Amino acid sequence: MNHAIQIPEFDPALIARYDMAGPRYTSYPTAPQFRGDFDERALRSAIQASNEEPIPRPLSIYVHVPFCVSPCFYCGCNRIITRDVGKADRYLERLYREIELVAKLFDRDRQVTQLHFGGGTPNFLDVPRMQELMGVLARHFSFSVERNREFGIEIDPRFADADYIRGMGELGFNRISVGIQDFDPAVQAAVNRIQSVAQTREVLEAARASGFRSTSVDLIYGLPRQTVAGFERTLGEVVALAPDRVAVYAYAHLPEMFKAQRQIDAAELPDPATRLALIGRALARLDEAGYAYVGMDHFARTDDELVVAQRAGTLQRNFQGYSTHGECDIVGLGVSAIGRIGDSYSQSARDLTGYYAALDNGRLPVARGLALVEDDLIRREAIGQLMCYGELDMIAFGEHRGIVFAEYFAAELERLHALAGDGLVTLDERTIRVTPRGRLLLRIVAMCFDAYLGKAAPTRFSRAI
Amino acid sequence: MSGHLAPGAVATDGAADFCRTCALSSVCAMVGYGKPELSPLHSLMEHLGPYRAGEAVFHQGDPFEAVYAVRAGTVKTRQLDHQGREHVLGFFLPGEVIGLDAIYPDRFPCDAVALDDAQFCRFSFPAMSVLATRQPAVQRHLFRLISRPLGAARLLAGDHSADERLAAFLVDLGERHAVRGFSGTHYQLSMSRSDIASYLSLAAETVSRTLSRFRAKGLVAIKGRVLHLRDQQQLRELGQNLLAA
Repeated sequence: MNHAIQIPEFDPALIARYDMAGPRYTSYPTAPQFRGDFDERALRSAIQASNEEPIPRPLSIYVHVPFCVSPCFYCGCNRIITRDVGKADRYLERLYREIELVAKLFDRDRQVTQLHFGGGTPNFLDVPRMQELMGVLARHFSFSVERNREFGIEIDPRFADADYIRGMGELGFNRISVGIQDFDPAVQAAVNRIQSVAQTREVLEAARASGFRSTSVDLIYGLPRQTVAGFERTLGEVVALAPDRVAVYAYAHLPEMFKAQRQIDAAELPDPATRLALIGRALARLDEAGYAYVGMDHFARTDDELVVAQRAGTLQRNFQGYSTHGECDIVGLGVSAIGRIGDSYSQSARDLTGYYAALDNGRLPVARGLALVEDDLIRREAIGQLMCYGELDMIAFGEHRGIVFAEYFAAELERLHALAGDGLVTLDERTIRVTPRGRLLLRIVAMCFDAYLGKAAPTRFSRAI
Repeated sequence: MSGHLAPGAVATDGAADFCRTCALSSVCAMVGYGKPELSPLHSLMEHLGPYRAGEAVFHQGDPFEAVYAVRAGTVKTRQLDHQGREHVLGFFLPGEVIGLDAIYPDRFPCDAVALDDAQFCRFSFPAMSVLATRQPAVQRHLFRLISRPLGAARLLAGDHSADERLAAFLVDLGERHAVRGFSGTHYQLSMSRSDIASYLSLAAETVSRTLSRFRAKGLVAIKGRVLHLRDQQQLRELGQNLLAA
């Protein structure tokens, strides 16, 4: 398959018209569809079935470290604000129990080819605690020793120095993801995250010097007090830092859902026209600097493996956005972590109380999940295909899935025709193609295939742009 | 459950392919299934199932009273040793007959366990024996079935490499699917990798490693449990010492 990678075309009027809530489809069905009746037994049998495939998939481990020293006001993540490292020790005690319980369910020959530490702030854990945690993981799981294994960690540069990063390199991490959001001091004050360019540079340079193969930074647009001129300066500084990947997320102001966001003065948020100008500048500046647009919120250097995988047709969607390790079963460890084993999703208890209670009683902390049915699998594949490549061959897809695409998705095609009228997609007998104008509205295109939208009570998702 | 079979011993309930390829179809034909005047003979055979994955159709030690033709699904036969470890003896596809090896000991030497939703035609052995004494053609057919060499024994015996065993296993399964009218090059592995490993006397990891190697060489493609034999010829050569000529 030849996947032409297109540069998105920035059409402010079109984007403004589709400025509506929509899932990011890091999973399908999306997490709000997970159900409480997916229990420990269901998870155990999903793992058992995954062990029994002729060639069991390798493992991708996600570890959630929920603690942060100080609250960033924009954050919608599951985290706990504390300066008390004792809390981390009580958490680690349970995490080790979980690792022990979970690891023995997987056959020992299933290698961990991908590992990701997210949060919260993973570097809330100091080097000795990280050493111990990595030791426990390595003892209970079989870490791949291949060079192409991906061991990544999210770092808050305000609480990590070059020594810490070197320590992480020695523990085997080879990818780093650094939060920036915006370097504009006015914005940093409004979101309670004061972080200098120098701090950020120290971390990224230490990572490169310690053999990290990939560096990634996150930006957010739509934050309070953000201006086009200020964001432009941030983009210039980011380009000078030369990360391999850049993610530019849209800020979704949902103070009724995320308590921290109540600290943000809604009057200081940029208006829709400014939001559009901000993302417009990001697209132009990153394109100029030689970054390819992978899709959704993600940009990468043209020689980055994400871009290479996109060209080769092996790109997949996962919880971190896009991944080249889509063939893995994902093991989620820690409070609120989400796993994907075979054709199932599962999420651990989202609060420490529930998470601790389960583990203190020797139970897996799974709180909810979903066993996917055939229709889910078909739709997941269609959405993944569009999210990763912006293109879907309906004939080939139908043959491969044993359906007549035009019949199975008759209602969905009707919805797509409406989008085609607006120039987001083109449709012919064989192919659905997202246009350069539609690339920034991938969520809207993918939503056409979501069978759960409108079925249940409305769920709050962040805006599409 | 009783069976309603149309003339020509071809089932009317969607299992037409099954009957056409069943090892016992000629027995059904010979006794005139589908002819109402011969209805007393219907006691010879009854339909059983569906059985769910993991359910046993018969157990080791059960008195031998019938043989079972698989109508739908896949079945494994297995023995448990004194330590409770499982030893897989064979896999059975639709149209294949289980239980023929119980004729002599008069008791089933193994469990037969469904690997997915499975259905059976159960042939009462006392009734078949009576029939065989009356109809020489039935007797000849039964003798032929019983003396047919069992592939399982061949795959297990002897000093063969993992590559040879696995190649032979995949080709053999493909051929058996093809005989039943299914694709011989694209099929679903209903058995787990530990079942395959036990059957071939290999470690589970060896099964996966060997399959990965086959995949890297372009001999097979595997997605989940769906197998595609991409180079049957080379697989056949690899497994030739274990495959019937």
